[in-house]
Amino acid sequence: MGVTCVSQMPVAEGKSVQQTVEILTRKLELLGAEKQGTFCVDCETYHTAASTMGNQGQAGKLMYVMHNSEYPLSCFALFENGPCLIADANFDILMVKLKGFFQNAKANKIESRGTRYQYCDFLVKVGTVTMGPSARGISVEVEYCPCVVANDCWNLLMEFMQSFMGNHTPGIPSVFGNKHDSIYSPADSMVQYMELFNKIRKQQQVPVAGMR
Amino acid sequence: MADGVLSPGVNLEAFSQAIAAIQALRSSVTRAFDCLKDGMRHRETLEGREKSFVSAFQDSLHSVSRDLGELERLSNLVGKPSENHPLHNSGLLSLDPVQDKTPLYSQLLQAYKWSNKDCGNSPLSTLEDPAWADDSKVLPSRTQQNDHCYFAPASNTLELQYHAGLASGLLNQQSLKRSANQMGVSAKRRPKAQPTTLVLPPQYVDDVINRIDRMFPEMSIQLSRPNGTSAMLLVTLGKVLKVIVVMRSLFIDRTIVKGYNENVYTEDGKLDIWSKSNYQVFQKVTDHATTALLHYQLPQMPDVVVRSFMTWLRSYIKLFQAPCQRCGKFLQDGLPPTWRDFRTLEAFHDTCRQ
Repeated sequence: MGVTCVSQMPVAEGKSVQQTVEILTRKLELLGAEKQGTFCVDCETYHTAASTMGNQGQAGKLMYVMHNSEYPLSCFALFENGPCLIADANFDILMVKLKGFFQNAKANKIESRGTRYQYCDFLVKVGTVTMGPSARGISVEVEYCPCVVANDCWNLLMEFMQSFMGNHTPGIPSVFGNKHDSIYSPADSMVQYMELFNKIRKQQQVPVAGMR
Repeated sequence: MADGVLSPGVNLEAFSQAIAAIQALRSSVTRAFDCLKDGMRHRETLEGREKSFVSAFQDSLHSVSRDLGELERLSNLVGKPSENHPLHNSGLLSLDPVQDKTPLYSQLLQAYKWSNKDCGNSPLSTLEDPAWADDSKVLPSRTQQNDHCYFAPASNTLELQYHAGLASGLLNQQSLKRSANQMGVSAKRRPKAQPTTLVLPPQYVDDVINRIDRMFPEMSIQLSRPNGTSAMLLVTLGKVLKVIVVMRSLFIDRTIVKGYNENVYTEDGKLDIWSKSNYQVFQKVTDHATTALLHYQLPQMPDVVVRSFMTWLRSYIKLFQAPCQRCGKFLQDGLPPTWRDFRTLEAFHDTCRQ
């Protein structure tokens, strides 16, 4: 897994989510990127059940269970500031068994779907973030496959993102700060996605007129 | 077939007689075995039976030895076929009877003749066999009168020489020779002057590599000899890349550069020295590394060469961090600056150098 940066692309003024995605993909294709199929990243939220909280009155922890089509046989489980567990796909069934301890907040399920592009050694995924039936934003994931140390290639990644995202190029992700010189892992991408989804959830819903 | 047409040394009459002698020998041997098989015939006394059996068997053995002697005499008369095969063993291809479908031998002769430098002195000039002229659609016409040269006109060979001369001139401009022998050394001296740097004890090679390993902290070198005496190094540079170096005594033969997270072993756990990297940037660096190992040359001091190559390779620790010294950017066509100058070790894009 190469170093990845996940960011949000704001919807262009006066345009819908779909149209902005189309503008972005057209820019990528002009650059010379090749379409290579689709991708999907989804996230489900689990609350710790009230019965296990005891008298201390601590706030229930939120657990996120995520899937990434890049790793079809894996399932990622993470707490907000806590560890990330990488398990195999049977983990979902395990969560059903743990109904007593973790309850699924089904309304909070959020996912990002879109197309995958390859340009030289870069992998770009532009996806529409949807919560239920409504499209809430655009996620852009850029991966530089040959490099495995996060801080080494940040400048390189930024230069690439600037070539098609222009002014909307994000700053350095927070996970990079914690990495120092350790090798980048898929769990770091999932943490970035989780943060992105939380941000989008808190944002105001895109006005109906702008949606397709 | 007339006598001595195909092969002037063979006495064909003696040949046919020898074949008849073989048949006679075969029948007398069969008779001897039949006699043994039939065993003793009926006689009045046991003695009589034994005597008649032994005399019959003796007769059959005599006839066998007589026939064998006859065969030996005739085989000496037959003589050896002519040794005059042009192209030696490939002349045996001419014995293939399916001449129309696979005119292999005649085409082979034509190709040899064409590529041969000196038309007049070729051993093919001894091929004056009129028997081959029968198959006129296979051979070119024999209207050429000069110097037994039946085949391609001399202009073809002259062209070849001309082009070969041009090519050698161009190639010699970039001297890629890495051995210590000079060109034009007389053939007598060449076999004696064995290049000593090619025959180094493996222990010496190991020592040199270990010393270089200790030179740079961020570079680690692993040496193994899975295939005989040539060393194979796995050089790991920080967390950026891995290089597989195939050596021949202390000379670097070939390198392959792969990413840090790529698999460098084959399925059975051996070092994979053939497959390329999956990433374009490392394929590019592999090409540059090959250029570097041809650039750093010192036939008399190969350990200095290895040291210089490793120093050059070490500059790639900043492959993803260093911008190009010429254009100032990080990316060009999606690639970071992959070229490292041989003297200054500065980073350039492949298209930005010079």
